[in-house]
Amino acid sequence: MADSNSKTKPMVYALSTCPYCKRTKRFLDTHKIEYDFVDVDLLEDSKQDEALDKLEKMTGKRSFPVVIIGKEIIVGHDEEKLKKALKL
Amino acid sequence: MIAQRVTRVYCPVCLQRFKFVEGWKEGDLVICPICGQKLRLEKTLEGWVGTRPEKGSEKEIRERSDEFARIRGYKFNEMKEDVLEGLLGKNKLFGDFYCPCRMMHVPEYQCPCQPTRGGDVEVNGKCYCGFFWRKDLGTIDPPPRP
Repeated sequence: MADSNSKTKPMVYALSTCPYCKRTKRFLDTHKIEYDFVDVDLLEDSKQDEALDKLEKMTGKRSFPVVIIGKEIIVGHDEEKLKKALKL
Repeated sequence: MIAQRVTRVYCPVCLQRFKFVEGWKEGDLVICPICGQKLRLEKTLEGWVGTRPEKGSEKEIRERSDEFARIRGYKFNEMKEDVLEGLLGKNKLFGDFYCPCRMMHVPEYQCPCQPTRGGDVEVNGKCYCGFFWRKDLGTIDPPPRP
């Protein structure tokens, strides 16, 4: 199993309706990677604003999914980047 | 010389007015040439409007997206069913078929969204969601979005 995985759980910011976000979660599930996630569109207003501000500061846009693995920030569903960051 | 006024029909999906075709009558089913929505024609005091006969149903969004692709000459890839599932989720959660890949639930992002109707697919090869694709390009799955 990947080193980074044992140190910090990946964090996934997603939209509950976004097909690419689902693919990212499915990819992590398939590779038995434990992760935390939040569906930003289902958050209550104040928490949603907080999450969106945070994501915008991190990525410069409001695009989903956003996966944080240690210091790595991956925007969009990108299996190559996920594999690299997770050392799969 | 005074220009002759063109009779138009208002589409409640794309919020645009399209040209009324001679011979159409109240109750007819027509397709909005801008967004692909199937509409039933109604004459009101404000003029001709279209209503959505199958509003909010899976049939409605499937037909709308198929018609839009046909009108524009776009194609789908294997993401089609996943995107449709997302659109149905948006309708359930937020009341209409808004773009499932965006945070906003506003008329501008009713699928096909305004940027897509405005020509995003011609420029980028695909819409924001990767739902509609230009026919002359390959459909690489999944496309990392910008």
